[in-house]
Amino acid sequence: MNRVINVMRMQLTNRWVFIGIPLIIVAASFLLTLVIWSLVPEQGRYSGGAQAVMWYFFALGIQSLTLTFPFSQGLSITRRTFFFGTIALFSIIALITSVSYYLLGLLEQATGGWGVNGRFFALEWIAGGPWFHPIAFYFAVMMALFLIGFWAATIYKRWQATGLLSAGISVALVLVGTLYLIGSRQAWGQVGAFLGAQSQLDVAGWLAVLAVVLAGGSFLTLRRTEP
Amino acid sequence: MNTIIEVNDLTKKYRKSEALRGVNLALQPDRIYGLLGRNGAGKTTLMSILTAQGFASSGEVRVFGEHPYENERVLNRICFIRESQKYPDSFTAEHAFRSAALFFANWSQELADRLAADFQLPLRRTIKKLSRGQLSAVGVIIGLASRAEITFFDEPYLGLDAVARQLFYDRLVEDYSRHPRTVVLSSHLIDEVANLLEHVIVIDQGRIIMDDDADTIRGSAFTVVGSADKVWSFLGDREIVHTDNFASLASVTALGPLTENETRAAAELGLELAPVSLQQLIVRKTMSASSAASGVTNRSFSEAAR
Amino acid sequence: MLTDDGRPIFLQIAERIESDIIDGTLAEESQVPSTNEFAAFYRINPATAAKGVNRLVDDGILYKQRGIGMFVSPGARTVLMQRRREKFFDQYVQPLTREARKLGIEPDELAEMIRQGEHALQGGAQ
Repeated sequence: MNRVINVMRMQLTNRWVFIGIPLIIVAASFLLTLVIWSLVPEQGRYSGGAQAVMWYFFALGIQSLTLTFPFSQGLSITRRTFFFGTIALFSIIALITSVSYYLLGLLEQATGGWGVNGRFFALEWIAGGPWFHPIAFYFAVMMALFLIGFWAATIYKRWQATGLLSAGISVALVLVGTLYLIGSRQAWGQVGAFLGAQSQLDVAGWLAVLAVVLAGGSFLTLRRTEP
Repeated sequence: MNTIIEVNDLTKKYRKSEALRGVNLALQPDRIYGLLGRNGAGKTTLMSILTAQGFASSGEVRVFGEHPYENERVLNRICFIRESQKYPDSFTAEHAFRSAALFFANWSQELADRLAADFQLPLRRTIKKLSRGQLSAVGVIIGLASRAEITFFDEPYLGLDAVARQLFYDRLVEDYSRHPRTVVLSSHLIDEVANLLEHVIVIDQGRIIMDDDADTIRGSAFTVVGSADKVWSFLGDREIVHTDNFASLASVTALGPLTENETRAAAELGLELAPVSLQQLIVRKTMSASSAASGVTNRSFSEAAR
Repeated sequence: MLTDDGRPIFLQIAERIESDIIDGTLAEESQVPSTNEFAAFYRINPATAAKGVNRLVDDGILYKQRGIGMFVSPGARTVLMQRRREKFFDQYVQPLTREARKLGIEPDELAEMIRQGEHALQGGAQ
């Protein structure tokens, strides 16, 4: 357990990576949004800029595997300890970010959209419902993105380009197959209705299932990966 | 004596090649081992498997009597920084040392600081901006300051100049004297490290071709030079390691200690006897192992020439 | 410095200490550096240095004083000189005469050369 916590401390050795840079990204995209809002009419003042930091975490998921994993091996850390330490640290960061987004969303609503009727943190569909709905949604999105990056990088590390290509083709085949199935049964209407009926909490649930699958896959792949 | 690393019939196959072929080893505690061999002989592969960073195709490895894979009891006591060690992009040498301090129980920050000053390592520059030599220095410092019970050094001198290499050897001997531990030093610069080693393991094309005390190996071969027929009659049926022919002269490296009588006999025959350095012997042995693998022995070569 | 000339390093260390005793660099009853100091100075493995030193301890040339260190035994110099003298004929005279014969130098001529060599040494010493 102690070593799992040490893995988290190791990841935080350079505080910029997990704390400083994400803060800057959120602040910068928010300020940029404010500037843009001053240029557009009041009706169009909503922004998806809050997701910028989530893509940063996707990249971080890739980097923690390609560079931090080999480093952890040099420090005689087991793959298991590295995996749980990294996932635990990221879960905490994702949780803090999600709660912050929720609180900033409340502030956004209370200030009438920062005084200019803008929507940055509390986007319509996400911000509704009880407090834990938006938090669960943000959290699940971040975890899923991080783990997609993490698993993809693990596959690349273990089986190189061939592995990543096969994985990519498999995912594409499944998607195309699904689309074909929907199309051939002329079920687009039903699918559209189903998707439209999903709340943010439902989507969070689906993403959570995906994240658990990704985490399991990453762990099994990492078990036999060489640095 | 208690063995701390035991390897039985270890094999590592890659898709098209065999990196290790039936390796057997037993390492004792508190010694400095040299793992010597040419580039690509299998040194890094062997160390990777011993530290569970890599996986064997078959065979068995025991470290401190246990399997090292995912085994914290074993890994906590080992340090292996590879020659091509990767570090997180944003890390400086200082970050790397602070991380290492979290995981090595015997870590000496004092030693790390002193070595960093000795190597004139810029601590605040990100590692990806360091020169090859400075990158090697980061690995050397982690290895030495970890004071792990088994420390592997994987060609730690790459990019280091002569002064820095000497510094590493000096600090290694010094710290080892104060804190004895098992050190495995992988190198192909045999002359430079020869005197530091207590035991020598030579690996060639995935096979162990020598595994003995350094001093035993030193006395184990000699070169005799003189007119070919006298040389061969002097050598009798000794094991030949290497032969060079030049006009009517032969220079032959052979195994086995020489008695005083034999030394005198050689002198009376007008033959010149020369000792063989560790490096020479290993080079000769490696060359004969390669040619033996390709179906030609030096002995048959020389006999054909006679 | 030591050379990797194919002879075991511990023997070279032992011989070096013996030479230091013979030429008086290490006086009898004086303290000898520790094995770790030898190792650091000659840049060799401490175990090898210890092997060389212990050889001299077993031989009675050095003696250990527990907790203090190692010292040159009284009478060590005489013993060592006696041994070197015994080897002198094999080690130096025989190769010398062999080479002399090869070059056609007569024994009388050789003896004269040795006298001249001795003379030159004395001249250098004055």
